[in-house]
Amino acid sequence: MKAAPTLSPAFLQPAGGKLPEPLLTLRQQRGKALVDMPLPTRKTENWKYSSRHLKLTEELANSLPSGRKAGPGLALDHPHILIHNGVVVPEASDFPELDGIEISSFADLDDDTAGQLAERLDNTLDNQAIQMARLNAARFEDGLYIRLKPGAVLEEPLYVIIETDAGASGSAYPRLYVDVGANSQMTLVEEYISSGDDAALVDSVTEFSLGEGANLTSIRLSLEGDSVQHIGATGARLLGHARLDSHTVGFGGPLRRHDLQVRLEQPGAECRLNGVAVSQGKQHYDNHTTIEHVAPHCNSEETYRNIAADESHIVFNGRIHIHEDAQKSAADMNNKNLLLTTGAEIDAKPELEIYADDVTCAHGATIGQLDDRSLFYLVSRGISRQHANTLLTMAFINELVEQIPVEAVRQTTQARLNQFIEQAFEEA
Amino acid sequence: MLSIRNLHAAVEGEEILKGINLDIQPGEVHAIMGPNGSGKSTLSQVLAGNETFEVTSGEVLLDGKNLLELETEERALAGIFLAFQYPVEIPGVSNLQFLRTAVNAHRAHQGKEELSAVDFMKLAKDITQRVDLDASFLKRGVNEGFSGGEKKRNEILQALLLEPRLAILDETDSGLDIDALKTVAQGVNELRSEDRAILMITHYQRLLDHIVPDKVHVLAGGRIVKSGDSELAKELEEHGYAGLGVSDDEEATAN
Repeated sequence: MKAAPTLSPAFLQPAGGKLPEPLLTLRQQRGKALVDMPLPTRKTENWKYSSRHLKLTEELANSLPSGRKAGPGLALDHPHILIHNGVVVPEASDFPELDGIEISSFADLDDDTAGQLAERLDNTLDNQAIQMARLNAARFEDGLYIRLKPGAVLEEPLYVIIETDAGASGSAYPRLYVDVGANSQMTLVEEYISSGDDAALVDSVTEFSLGEGANLTSIRLSLEGDSVQHIGATGARLLGHARLDSHTVGFGGPLRRHDLQVRLEQPGAECRLNGVAVSQGKQHYDNHTTIEHVAPHCNSEETYRNIAADESHIVFNGRIHIHEDAQKSAADMNNKNLLLTTGAEIDAKPELEIYADDVTCAHGATIGQLDDRSLFYLVSRGISRQHANTLLTMAFINELVEQIPVEAVRQTTQARLNQFIEQAFEEA
Repeated sequence: MLSIRNLHAAVEGEEILKGINLDIQPGEVHAIMGPNGSGKSTLSQVLAGNETFEVTSGEVLLDGKNLLELETEERALAGIFLAFQYPVEIPGVSNLQFLRTAVNAHRAHQGKEELSAVDFMKLAKDITQRVDLDASFLKRGVNEGFSGGEKKRNEILQALLLEPRLAILDETDSGLDIDALKTVAQGVNELRSEDRAILMITHYQRLLDHIVPDKVHVLAGGRIVKSGDSELAKELEEHGYAGLGVSDDEEATAN
């Protein structure tokens, strides 16, 4: 029998960076645990469709050098904080000077704060299920720690640009930890971009810890280029009556993988997860979401829409887990998928696991093509077939994009999606 | 202007139209009446270019051009407009965006400059008033959540905006209450002009109380079995299709 492939030891080389002692210690421990870590294969349930796209070649094991400025890929022209190849670049960042928020790179934390952070790092994630987040924990060289104090309300969105500079082959391990204090409120925009054409891997982890009554809007754009594999994880823990609004928009690549795990830990917590993924050529996109209804009286709403063109492939796996004590849970999951060509593939899998008996749960998943009757209606008014296709395809996802509450992000996203769709029909 | 010669059409191998002949001159309003299943809607869909229907023989000329060789969008640009019996709802595309795209496609075809968003808005607001629709309908998705009557008025609105050579109204009167019927009829009467023809397809006489046609044709079993002036419609109202020797058996034959 062929032995299961394991992570190349090259990935376990000592990582650089200037971390405070407690975080260094944590990283070392995590590294040791990774020796002989089995890599996901076709037989790994949560990597069934994507493992063949995961290419952890030895040349990717090297940490990408950090410290340069944001490249031309920047979609959003706003004051922002830059994380370049996993390291916060203060010279290229605008740190907002606001009451109620503390923003610091991991490197700049004092030992006490770093120690407290080290104890909490990864506590929003199910690490067994998210293999690659474990690699991040062994390799991160820096990170961004955002603390919003209880009761603070941030009026303006906070933009974080996470740039992978693939001027050489290698990997980057960006990490964010956001502590949203009780009854505070903020909007965070994460924009993942890349520059350079060499093969690169970005293995990112973002964690949200929401206190009682906290309110976080999270917008995540995945816009990297075609030489970059991006495997990202987002974890969120919500205490009583906290609310998370998540909007993710992603464009395909050689491999794009996003695991989003939300735990509703106390009564009254609620989340709304909206996601859009599009892909073309031979691109691959994989969204895995998990919502854990741990406590009673929590609500979740999830809507994901995907569009696959050419010979591309999109995976959506949405899991809702309602624990035994989570009575009066309400969960609604909806996933619609559009195939623009016969060569494209979308695999959609809703998973409901319900152990409580007094819950309201609904889920639906559809895979289809553009509606012939709508198309005929539009062309019968003199609109060209290509333009009609574009209008109908944009309409399919616009309903979600229009819900992005930051106008600048919404407009940029719409423009990018329009461009993608026009291109998809030009080449068809 | 429109000349249909011996038109045969089939859907899934079954012949629905069995030799239609019809001539329409500019400025004329024709009504085609007939029982369900006679082929009325098939005729309108074939003229608009719905590929579900296969033209097996015959010829259709619009201003001397062979219509059957044109794609649906080219027919629209050449001046064919079909007001649908069942307009499609398209959530996510605003009515305004849809109408402006359609108008600008026509303008580009005619070598005119495209209308700016502001200029188009003025035009669209004016025309929504003429069909008694509130301007808020422009912001909604195309036909999304519109009532039956609002959908029909939205069709007439499009005809007024696109100014076709030939407007085909497929059962535009069906499902309307009397007030909605009057509004729609008023819109259709506004459409009438010397260089435009209108072909109304209807099951009932009642629309013809408000819009007096120049010619009336009875379609049955895939053929026009009788033609006359507006008196023919009244005759049908009094005696029914059976009075013409046309029965529901025709429907059975067509099926």
